[in-house]
Amino acid sequence: MSDSDFAVRLEDVTKRFGKHTAVEGLDLEVPRGVIYGLLGPNGSGKTTSIRMIMGILHPDEGRVSLFGSNADEVRRTKVGYLPEERGVYKKMKCLDFVMFLGEIRGVPRAEGKRRASAWLERLGLGAWADKKVEDLSKGMQQKVQFIGTVIHEPELLILDEPFSGLDPINQDVLEEIVLDFHAKGTTILFSTHLMDQAERLCQRVCLISKAKKVLDADLRDLKAAERKGLVAVEFDGPDRWLDGPEVRSMERVNGAMHLLLAEGADHQAILRRGVEAGATIYRFDLVEPRLHEIFVRHAGDAATGDAGTPTGALGNMGGRR
Amino acid sequence: MMTNVWAVIRREYLQRVRSKWFVISTVGGPLFMIALTVLPAYFAAKGERADRKIVVVDRTGVLYDRLQPRMDEAGYEVASEPWTSDVVVSLTQRATNDDIGAFIVLDEETLHSGKAMFYGTERPSAIRRVTLRSAIVQSALEVELSASGVDAQALLSGGDLQVEVLSAEGAGIEDPRFLVAYTGAFFLYMVILLYSIAVMRATLEEKTSRVVEIIISSMKPWHLMLGKILGVGGVGLTQMAVWLGSAAVLASAGLPALMAARPEMANLGQIRDVLPGLGLMALFLGFFVFGFFMFSGLYAAVGAMCNTDEEAQQAQFPVIMLLIVPILFVMNVIQNPSTPLSVGLSLFPFFTPVLMWARVAGGGAPAWQIAVSFVLMGGATLAVAWLAGRIYKVGILMAGKRPTLPELWRWVREA
Repeated sequence: MSDSDFAVRLEDVTKRFGKHTAVEGLDLEVPRGVIYGLLGPNGSGKTTSIRMIMGILHPDEGRVSLFGSNADEVRRTKVGYLPEERGVYKKMKCLDFVMFLGEIRGVPRAEGKRRASAWLERLGLGAWADKKVEDLSKGMQQKVQFIGTVIHEPELLILDEPFSGLDPINQDVLEEIVLDFHAKGTTILFSTHLMDQAERLCQRVCLISKAKKVLDADLRDLKAAERKGLVAVEFDGPDRWLDGPEVRSMERVNGAMHLLLAEGADHQAILRRGVEAGATIYRFDLVEPRLHEIFVRHAGDAATGDAGTPTGALGNMGGRR
Repeated sequence: MMTNVWAVIRREYLQRVRSKWFVISTVGGPLFMIALTVLPAYFAAKGERADRKIVVVDRTGVLYDRLQPRMDEAGYEVASEPWTSDVVVSLTQRATNDDIGAFIVLDEETLHSGKAMFYGTERPSAIRRVTLRSAIVQSALEVELSASGVDAQALLSGGDLQVEVLSAEGAGIEDPRFLVAYTGAFFLYMVILLYSIAVMRATLEEKTSRVVEIIISSMKPWHLMLGKILGVGGVGLTQMAVWLGSAAVLASAGLPALMAARPEMANLGQIRDVLPGLGLMALFLGFFVFGFFMFSGLYAAVGAMCNTDEEAQQAQFPVIMLLIVPILFVMNVIQNPSTPLSVGLSLFPFFTPVLMWARVAGGGAPAWQIAVSFVLMGGATLAVAWLAGRIYKVGILMAGKRPTLPELWRWVREA
């Protein structure tokens, strides 16, 4: 495939800040029209990667292209960017602020006004259009900023941690809008450390850990490949029966034990052992592996040499369950 | 890309022009100026309005004809009354009845020594006394001198000193040009500093609020900086246009109207001597524009390399020195505009706005030096834009501690 088949393409991109390497040899291909999740713990290089895609930072090595080009004009008119650090002009009126963001991305003022009003209305901020941004709550400011991100109807949306700081209701609203854009054919690249969100929304995911890409795959393929049998068990009584030749590893998740089975193992054998051992079994569930577990596993492999445990390195990847 | 710069200019300009601070200072400036100059004179003269009907009893028989037009010009309504033994009594009666304001008795002694008697129900104000006394003395002098064939009128009106300047000489403190040069220099220092710091604050605010990241993703940092500087500069020009415009209106229309209505406020006419002409005003704006470009660029760079107001306060120190040093020399330069020191200092681009203005307005700078100073300022503006643009580009996205000088130099080289 050529560059122009991809909304975003990074080739062997490296960025260093002094002695610190923020991103190392990153290859990334975001096909047009997909929702793409860029995952990884804080400090893993997500934001640096996104800033390079946005042309705010320039890679020390490697190449960045958007829709087959690296022109600023493409970024300006075709890309909507929501940075992780939300910033607004506090003293501006909401409507003016959104119009200004449209204007610098090539939307004429009259058209910008029409679109901005419609968006403010849609997100329940119609009554706030003439209020100063500083008079709004943080969550509302974030919505205003999101409107500023999409006001020029971009073909590619780049959202850095778009859900952080939103309450559950507004997270759902935003999810819905993201899916709307997806339905219209917009390519969406977003970074998150919320695995549930990524699991719900993304078609393709890329995991970065310690400046390097660990995993880059279609989510469905990934899950199919990872379906090696995972059993969730809730019980009272002795627990020694859990361990056996069928079990590769176990982990306690939300009060249940998650057993990862060895290749071709028979889960019935474990259940039988449990009954014989006299444990009271409330739940014995064959579950699909969650993204979280897949990533803990992969990121853990990559995190060798780290002071913390593999899971420790991903400690902030929890998210809501 | 120019539409982007335009959008930034527009935002910056409207945001500021609409602010309360701008409206108050722009309208308040001229009002303050008026209050400072006109009001005291107005109030001093106001007390005079009540009784301006004055009766003159001229025992000499020659003074009244000369006194009458002078009093008339000063806004008094004068009438003559012949001398009789009981005229003082009857006029006192009329004054007590508020029929007339006061009366003056002139006699032979007035003719010789200028002494006259003033009778009034109230003690006359200082202005009134000066006006009356000078009118009487001038009339007496005229009478005395008319015999000798001297043009008393011309002498009394102060004569005419025709000035031939042999070498460019500075303005002494008593020269009205000194006032223009001195206050103008301070005013330039003030507005350049004020608006350059506004650019710094705006940059700092954009940086700390992180809004800059969205803006930078759709335009070059250089364009953002340019838009900010032009927007803020436009606000400064607007404000000065209002100030200078109202000063011009005040001088050309307001003052004559006021003086026509209140002849006794003739001393206000001196203000007109002090007000700079159109050419000088244009030069003033020129010095402001170039000064602002140079310093706002530097201040934008300072704003971009800092993260807090406190940091910026410290970091601006070397920049503000470039503005303060010329102020230290301004007195000297106005009085000795042609010394090598004055010429040299005023040609140093960062000192030019304050010091070249001081020389020009003081009357001591040849045109070619003014031209050279503008060329040098143009060069300095480009150099600042190059340097500051690079610092700005790197700094605006940089968090963490303020860069050291070597780090700063690396930014400039790498940007």
